[in-house]
Amino acid sequence: MKRFILAFIAAFIFIFFWGWVYNGVLLKDIFAEAQSLFRPREEMMGLFHWIVIGQAGLALSFVMIYASGFAGGGIAAGVRLGIMLEILAISARCAIYATQPFPAKLLVLISIGGFIEMIVTGVIVGAIYKPKSTRTP
Amino acid sequence: MNWKKFFIAFIAAFVFLFVFGFLWYGTLMHGAHQEVPTLLRPEAEFKNHFGWLVFGHLVMAFFLTMLYACFVSGGGVGAGAKLGILVALVYVGVNLISFAVQPLTTKILWGWILGDLIQFAIAGAIVGGIYKSGSTATS
Repeated sequence: MKRFILAFIAAFIFIFFWGWVYNGVLLKDIFAEAQSLFRPREEMMGLFHWIVIGQAGLALSFVMIYASGFAGGGIAAGVRLGIMLEILAISARCAIYATQPFPAKLLVLISIGGFIEMIVTGVIVGAIYKPKSTRTP
Repeated sequence: MNWKKFFIAFIAAFVFLFVFGFLWYGTLMHGAHQEVPTLLRPEAEFKNHFGWLVFGHLVMAFFLTMLYACFVSGGGVGAGAKLGILVALVYVGVNLISFAVQPLTTKILWGWILGDLIQFAIAGAIVGGIYKSGSTATS
């Protein structure tokens, strides 16, 4: 349980900072090109806690899936899980692209960032969380 | 991996995800989505992008099945539903973030969350039910 909590906290911290650096700073101008699809900055800041809750939920569900079926495989299993979850997210983005007028460039860049995010999260979770039977004394 | 069972589970999951998506998001939530028309493509433009919707569901079904096969291939319906709920929770996190950055209504947010949980729990159960029986056979 201790390692589960540690893995969750480490994954959450990474996802939060990566999201801020990649989406909030590096892609800032790209997002600005589709401003009409987003809330104004002040309104978004008023709902910032939902971003934090959403990222915490993402980190928690990642660790739960890893702990339920991938633990024991270490970093490689974490990376494999991260890649599969990101491909699932990309499939959802295909549906979003069909229904919402997002520029393709934005969704491609978000997906590249998503791959990096999920692979690194997999490395972090795989390195920290280990089931009892595989732990060394 | 039993590829025959995998393929049947993948097709069944795809059919369910697509039909459920049409009924839940396209029909039941149609009115809620119309409250934010500027966020959605116009009907004609949507039809031109329909291929992306089908492709997205195909990839979703394929990797949900793949995840199950790597996760607990012998677990059956219960394990499949559990995996589906956990995958849905990943999407719930994304939905909450979308709500914070896009002018979605709370009705849409809760509709998406509930839809994702039902959709993936059932899709996972379908995959688990189909894939389980052939999981021990190798191809």
